[in-house]
Amino acid sequence: MRAAVAGKFVGTSVRRVEDQRLLTGQGRFVGDIDVPGMVHAVFLRSPHPHALIKRIDVSAARALPGVYVITGAMMKARTNPLLSLLAFDGLYTPYFWALATDRVRSVGDPVALVLAPTRYLAEDAMALIDVDYEPLEAVATIDQALDPRKPKLWPKADGNTMFNSTQRYGDVDAVFSTADRVITRTFDCHRHSNQPMETRGCVAQVDPVTRAMTFHSATQNSHALKWYLGMVTGRQSVADSAKWLFRNRDKLKRFGAGAKGFAGANKEAMKGADNSGMAFLVKKDMSVLGHMMRSFIGLVAKGADSVPEVEAQDIGGAFGAKGVFSREEIAVCAAAKELGVSIKWIEDRNEHLAVGGHARDERMTINAAVNNDGTVLGFKVELTLDQGAYPAAPFSAAMFTQIMRVMMPGTYRLTAFEFTARVVATNKGTYVAYRGPWAMETWVRERMLDVIARELEIEPAEIRLRNMVTMAELPRPMITGPMLDIRMSAHTTLTAAVELADLPTFRAAQAKARAEGRLLGLGIATFHEAAPGPPGFFDFVSPGSGMLGAEPARTVLEADGGVSVYIQQMPHGQSHETTFAQVAADELGVAPTDVKVRYGNTRVTPFGIMGTGGSRAGAMTGGAVTYSSRELRTQILQRAADMLEADVTDVTITDGAIHVLGVPAISVSFAEVAAVVAPTIGADRKVHEGVLQGTAAFDGGDGGWSMATHVCWVEVDVETGFVTIPRYAVVEDCGELINPAIVEGQVRGGVAQGIGAVLYEKTAYDDQANFQAGTFMDYLIPTSMEIPDIEIHHIETPSSIEANYRGVGEGGMIGAPAALTNAIEDALAHLGVTITEQHLPPTRILELAGVITTR
Amino acid sequence: MTNATDSITVESGGIVEVALTVNGRPVATTVEVRRSLSDFLRDDLGLTGTHLGCEHGVCGACTIELDGEAVRSCLMLAVQADRATIITIEGLADPDGTLSPLQQAFHESHGFQCAFCAPGFLMTAKVLLARNPQPTRDEIREELSGNLCRCTGYHSIIESVETAVRLTQAHAHSPARTASQEVAS
Repeated sequence: MRAAVAGKFVGTSVRRVEDQRLLTGQGRFVGDIDVPGMVHAVFLRSPHPHALIKRIDVSAARALPGVYVITGAMMKARTNPLLSLLAFDGLYTPYFWALATDRVRSVGDPVALVLAPTRYLAEDAMALIDVDYEPLEAVATIDQALDPRKPKLWPKADGNTMFNSTQRYGDVDAVFSTADRVITRTFDCHRHSNQPMETRGCVAQVDPVTRAMTFHSATQNSHALKWYLGMVTGRQSVADSAKWLFRNRDKLKRFGAGAKGFAGANKEAMKGADNSGMAFLVKKDMSVLGHMMRSFIGLVAKGADSVPEVEAQDIGGAFGAKGVFSREEIAVCAAAKELGVSIKWIEDRNEHLAVGGHARDERMTINAAVNNDGTVLGFKVELTLDQGAYPAAPFSAAMFTQIMRVMMPGTYRLTAFEFTARVVATNKGTYVAYRGPWAMETWVRERMLDVIARELEIEPAEIRLRNMVTMAELPRPMITGPMLDIRMSAHTTLTAAVELADLPTFRAAQAKARAEGRLLGLGIATFHEAAPGPPGFFDFVSPGSGMLGAEPARTVLEADGGVSVYIQQMPHGQSHETTFAQVAADELGVAPTDVKVRYGNTRVTPFGIMGTGGSRAGAMTGGAVTYSSRELRTQILQRAADMLEADVTDVTITDGAIHVLGVPAISVSFAEVAAVVAPTIGADRKVHEGVLQGTAAFDGGDGGWSMATHVCWVEVDVETGFVTIPRYAVVEDCGELINPAIVEGQVRGGVAQGIGAVLYEKTAYDDQANFQAGTFMDYLIPTSMEIPDIEIHHIETPSSIEANYRGVGEGGMIGAPAALTNAIEDALAHLGVTITEQHLPPTRILELAGVITTR
Repeated sequence: MTNATDSITVESGGIVEVALTVNGRPVATTVEVRRSLSDFLRDDLGLTGTHLGCEHGVCGACTIELDGEAVRSCLMLAVQADRATIITIEGLADPDGTLSPLQQAFHESHGFQCAFCAPGFLMTAKVLLARNPQPTRDEIREELSGNLCRCTGYHSIIESVETAVRLTQAHAHSPARTASQEVAS
């Protein structure tokens, strides 16, 4: 529990400190950045899904004043390829360059980078580039990717299969052979995408004198972007690197010490790393080794000198799409470095829809071993995921298949589980993380439970209640390994939701409505999510990746008495400036408005390789800010005690005034403490270390789960195919709420995206991989007319754990597709309808209901 | 992606003079005829509070008030705004930074998250409330349905406009601005 002095701001809906600038148009998004002498970039993109580039003629474009064109061949000669930093046994990840070199693999594949003094001129010039393509047969679907007659996208892959892996838990064969029955279904999730309101973009700002680069980017992950840019754009030969290393032995020692420090801090986690993935990759393609050597040795040789500093400020949403290092950003960085000129690139919506990151597009066949009393014994699952043409950097979609594997059993008491994951390549945009990137496991499991319930004639809520681990059974490990700790309240959220649903009343209303020709349905879905999961969670996903472990924070007393909190998180709508100010304010006895949360600038923020993603901020950074602020408080109290000539144990802070307990009239301020300390600090102390600083890292502690049950009520109009949602409720437990209004905003936003995915949104391609959804008139984002009011019911499981915060950004999107599709099937079940696909626009509803013929 | 066409005229039709009023300030300058109003506001006048989300008129982030109407600045050319009176998000607050009741309402009701869509929603809501000072929740829903938000699920935005109705009434009845508490109850 937090100390009694605290708790003043945590737990209340403190108004956002971000608002003053964002509500007045004074935010600083990447598109707002304008630096002197800057030129503008646009990308010439492939109109073909799959083609060879025979010839590029840039002469007409180059003839325009101030226009410069960079082609794939130039990029290949001067940069390192994009390499995957994640290896799994059975995973082949091809390397590729920022621009297409001799072959395009999707509509929108960048072919040339055009630079001009204005964006308008750059687009004029782009239209003058002449490219001869030789179209190739394209691979458009999972079925086509698995068809051996289709062309291979990547010559060294096994057909178009990039990853293949099976894992088993329990005695699968015995369970499946003795179960009363095995029920099998195949579920398809369509390709859709994040679509933040702000597209991707960057400004590579080159200092005209020193040539040092500041890279402004709408990125979720500033530190990792910095080093990846350095690695890819810092190409030099291994021989040159060796000379550099020799000449800069001292620098190398410092770099080595830093790396050793990081490795030391994460020793336990790194011990488990296995090299089978790297061995598999090198066996597939020996040439990867040379590129790796040149990239890594080059990076170590030049070190921080050749690496841009990244700055990110306001970001207009991302939902995962900006955690990927885009090829475009790398091309812009390389061009700016080469030419010594500042370059701005802002993606347009058409580009963002085509290649700004796609998600889902997965097929799962699930076999469920069940007994006739409704006991679910085990699952055998076969997943195929369509990653598109190019694997995402720094890690590919294979990562998410393994989170799906770990999470698929949910909190149900399975005794056997088998999971096969396959990733295929097609001529489409790149698969990226999208808010709960593993959500397919929840959708399929929760859909399948309804299918089982219907077959056994059990109420869908009842089959969940019978099979879900209750709190009395905790702690208990999932069959896939991670521990469900004593706060695993999924069952509690379910029972609360079932009560809300009032099934007897609903079933009566449903029957009555049906008699009147109106179709009502109710769907329930329960999940738990790693938010961020217990320590070591990722070791069950990928052995050795536990070093993604902790989040750092630094709380400093500024020379003027202000308080700043430095984090490596990269907020893009999550309101971190407010929530972490609340946490620090409670520790320090000041107001949230007295605390400035600083992020995004790699020169001053603590190092971290994860950025914002994986629901880490609340649990890990929240705890880290608690402890770093407490450490600063201790230091401030010690100094103030000296000033007050009191014993430190007698001193406290009230509303920013430091005084002896019971004697508030005699106090010193933070500014007075800073003024006393400032002359005593060394001249080499950095500004971002303040005059006093507390630092901490926190891994989130045990548990680390968020859980929820969603209940969705629908009415399906079989005249029009429209689905309306008269009521939607979420019962969730994300531990202690730092700011309830912000938590509720995250949940509602996630549910809205889930509703959009099911009823409206589709990243459509035709069967030859031609892109079909290039505007917001084709790709339909739900509006205020489509999203209902969403009720939220909070549950907080009592705990003695301090900093009992859990991530809550992803869950809405994980639960909603399951609850909504379950509700739609519930409305149509009497017509013999089983929902096995996630995208259900009106025409599909009418087809399923038998009103129109299936195309 | 811009579609390639065979006949680009790079001279682009020349430069014209425009005179308009933006956030109460007269602006007289020259502009390329093909320049969009949104680029003119953002890049020529430095008013980057107006955002570009799609540049094809669907998302509404670029909405401004032009002669009393809510208008998509990405779908107009700057030359078409000659002699117009424009208000952008930068023109909502008092010069001393005091938020307007509408902005204050979005602050109090936690209206936005990333707030990239904020300029469009604020300007649309401003025009809505000027016309219909006491809209129902359903009217608010319908009026705001031309603006996309990807973060909030709209709930907090609709509540913010309802709060704005209350604050605007309080504002009208009292010369002093409603004091804002830092911590919501």
